[in-house]
Amino acid sequence: MPKKIKKIKKKTKPKFQSFQDTILNLQKYWSKQGCVIVQPYDMEVGAGTFHPATTLRSLGTKPWKVAYVQPSRRPTDGRYGDNPNRLQHYYQFQVLIKPSPKEIKKLYLNSLSVIGINHNDHDIRFVEDDWESPTLGAAGLGWEVWCDGMEITQFTYFQQMAGMQCKPVSVELTYGLERICMFTQQKKNVFDLLWNNQGIEYREVFHQAEKEFSAYNFEYANTENLFKIFDMLEMEAKSLIEKKISLPAYDQCLKASHVFNILDARGVISVAQRAEYIGRIRDITKGAAEIWVNSQK
Amino acid sequence: MAEFFLELFSEEIPPKLQKNARDFLLENFKQIFKEKNLKFKSSNSYSTPNRLIILFEGLDKEIKEKSEEIRGPNINAPEKALEGFLRSNQITKNEIYKKNTEKGEFYFFKKQEKTVNTFDLLEKNVPLILDKISWKKSMKWNDFEMEWGRPLKSILSIFDNKKLSFKFYHLESSNFTFVDKEFEDKKKIFKNFSSYNDYFNKRGIIINQNYRKKLIEKQLQKISERKNVNLEINVKLLNEVVDLVDQPHILSCKFDQKFLEIPEEILIITMQHHQKYFHTFDQKGNITNEFFVVANIKDNKGFIKIGNERVVDARLSDASFFWEKNKSQNLIKQISKLKSINYFEGLGSYFDKVQRMRKLGALISDEMLISKEKIELLTSICKIDLISDIVNEFPELQGVIGGYFASSQGFDKDISLAISEHYLPTGLESKVPKKPFSIALALTDKIDTLVGFFGVNQKPTSSKDPYALRRSALGIIRLLLENKKEFKITDLIKYSITLYRDQGFNFPNEKVQEELSTFLIERLKFYMKQKDIRYDIVEASIDSFSIDQASQMYSKALALNRVIIKDIGNDIILSYKRASNILENELKNKDLDLSNTTDPGIFKNEYEKNLYKKIHELRKYFTSINKDEDYYVTLGNLANAKPTISDFFDNVIVNDEDHAIKKNRLELLQMLCKTFDNYINFASIESIK
Repeated sequence: MPKKIKKIKKKTKPKFQSFQDTILNLQKYWSKQGCVIVQPYDMEVGAGTFHPATTLRSLGTKPWKVAYVQPSRRPTDGRYGDNPNRLQHYYQFQVLIKPSPKEIKKLYLNSLSVIGINHNDHDIRFVEDDWESPTLGAAGLGWEVWCDGMEITQFTYFQQMAGMQCKPVSVELTYGLERICMFTQQKKNVFDLLWNNQGIEYREVFHQAEKEFSAYNFEYANTENLFKIFDMLEMEAKSLIEKKISLPAYDQCLKASHVFNILDARGVISVAQRAEYIGRIRDITKGAAEIWVNSQK
Repeated sequence: MAEFFLELFSEEIPPKLQKNARDFLLENFKQIFKEKNLKFKSSNSYSTPNRLIILFEGLDKEIKEKSEEIRGPNINAPEKALEGFLRSNQITKNEIYKKNTEKGEFYFFKKQEKTVNTFDLLEKNVPLILDKISWKKSMKWNDFEMEWGRPLKSILSIFDNKKLSFKFYHLESSNFTFVDKEFEDKKKIFKNFSSYNDYFNKRGIIINQNYRKKLIEKQLQKISERKNVNLEINVKLLNEVVDLVDQPHILSCKFDQKFLEIPEEILIITMQHHQKYFHTFDQKGNITNEFFVVANIKDNKGFIKIGNERVVDARLSDASFFWEKNKSQNLIKQISKLKSINYFEGLGSYFDKVQRMRKLGALISDEMLISKEKIELLTSICKIDLISDIVNEFPELQGVIGGYFASSQGFDKDISLAISEHYLPTGLESKVPKKPFSIALALTDKIDTLVGFFGVNQKPTSSKDPYALRRSALGIIRLLLENKKEFKITDLIKYSITLYRDQGFNFPNEKVQEELSTFLIERLKFYMKQKDIRYDIVEASIDSFSIDQASQMYSKALALNRVIIKDIGNDIILSYKRASNILENELKNKDLDLSNTTDPGIFKNEYEKNLYKKIHELRKYFTSINKDEDYYVTLGNLANAKPTISDFFDNVIVNDEDHAIKKNRLELLQMLCKTFDNYINFASIESIK
């Protein structure tokens, strides 16, 4: 029966999904699950978790379902575009559901099928990973999800956020989009990823940015000014907290956090200073979050 | 007799928590059965990532509590005693009666025969036991109050083929479980463990972790034989992998051969620590590019093998990228870059540290009679790997990577080895450097570290030691003792303090010298106790010697510890005690002033003369021994003095009427003790006979 053989062959050949289709498919899928689809936060953040739609909305008792893509910046991970696996700017797809639904694992595994990963064909593993963010004063328990040995998602039940206990508990899914696409598109170099189906590659969209931002983060950022800016942002945050304006106060925390990350990449923060700066960010974040929670009552 | 079978189905629980939960639950059920006198034939606990199982077979269905007469308080006892009696037996006043006994009139209560039903007992106690479980880390989810290792989904609980009904927080116990771990929407009812076990067995899921372990081990052996490679199964990794899967399938994979040029340690960390793979060696002991993956599903389409291989290739290409970039970066030219990394607040940068180490190392090289130039070079380049990308990626390989850099840049073998080993030893079990340059560098680094941290008052507390200073101090002790090396540690500490001061670092702590010596002595004590040296011998050794004689102290203590329970030990201690007891008494009672001189002219008999002669023989022996003292010979000589000493005590009365003679005899005894003390201060050592 040659027909049947052909069919099987067609089936086993993995479908290539472009980078942008992967994002679109995840948005569509989570939209169908009742999530509010919001857009990326318009500010430099280190991870999707920092978006107020996650940090602030995970607090308080009101139910909340949200999904979005978030460009994330980690200045220390820059490699001038030379390394096939490292970027200082990359994309995370973020889902937050409060309270965590009973069938979240099923929802997650089904979401993998829409981006070309059928869990029956792959070794999907939930490997212990307890998450902590000292700058956010946040902690959670969960796993990193491995697909055939590669980490593709962070799966976390928030226990604490901005120093406050989470009740009810939210579940957060963070998909590493570049990694997932390198896996589904079978690419060894992130810059070879197909961005769309018209032959545009990741390289064309971001390679120059990687090069220039690596140079900025490691060599050219004016550290003297950045230290001053950090102080100013902290002051602004404190004054806004005093005036009980939560969201603009939280924005200052995000900005301060990014300034700190650049200073860190420039190598001008000593071990002892590090803990001090992180503590300062955590304090203003806590202040902003507390006002936000009170405003929800 | 019947079976009690409990299954707790949850989302994936980490390996360590699984084991803790298994042990805790089993122990607590055993305990309650013991309390109630319930017998059982066998008990077991099993787990997979999603399932925790407790199984008791041949458990009594009921237990009869026999009828008996229980005596209460005396009828004249205060009312409170009676109330307590009623309460503890859960009875009322109507149920008790008075009865005369030999000891007086008492209250009594006749306890009726009662049957305790195991079924009821379990329904009441299972939720109580589940609630008692103490997770090392637990979590909440949804809006529930329950805390568990990971979200608990269902509780299957059966006794004697019947469902036990109880509530545990928001969950209701049942006789079913979810059989598809992914979607958790396929339920199946089970009546007993064997049908449950068979059901999963048929689907390739192995419930019993011991079977899984055996299976994985056997398959790994088989596949490595087929591939003609050697495998050292790391027990910790194996145990972890066993608890990460429930239907193990071994895949044989390969990474790109070109990565074999990267240092082996990087390959092993990548495979073993990061990816939980088993790496292999060829017949000559070189690492190969073959590795084994324990997957949790059959690789029907070959995707899983390819996927895992690509992950390792990506990780290794990352490492290789850094390795290639870093290995040729000239170590010497990079020394000034150390200025950019802070060592510690108040202790300067790593550049400052290696400058200090250079000078301290030079002093050590003088003591060891090794090349000063080489030590100066070594101390200058040993920390360069800290600024490399590769150590940034693999921090656990600091030192090791520096060694590789040195050898790839053509430095002598003893230099690269010394760099590679200079963080060693890292604990009681870790390897101790044995080569002169390795010892010198390791010692230099540790002394500089300890002096600095003590200087800025970052000393360990009883519960916290964030900078692993205990480990560093124990490292110094092991370097000395296990190489039988003696250093003037107190001088090295003193010099190190001045080196810090010369750089302008003024310590807030002014007692570094004393505190650090005490700290090192403490670690030395700890080490000796670990070697099972008797407490009194440890104390006597510490009393007799300073940290500058640590090696000698340890060897003497070790030798004495070995003979103390034998005749030699006994002879020495008894001889010594006879003399020291008399001395102590006499010195206590009268204001006797011993002048440390014995006058042989007023000896009255042979026994005195013989003892005097013996003491001189021993003294001569002690002055004749050099560095190669054989401690067993010394101890033998001391023991051999026993007949002479015994003869003296059996035939001579120390307490002579003539004061001069008495004093002279006491002088003789003191001379004897002091001679013995050349070995160690025996005063506080106990004999066991």
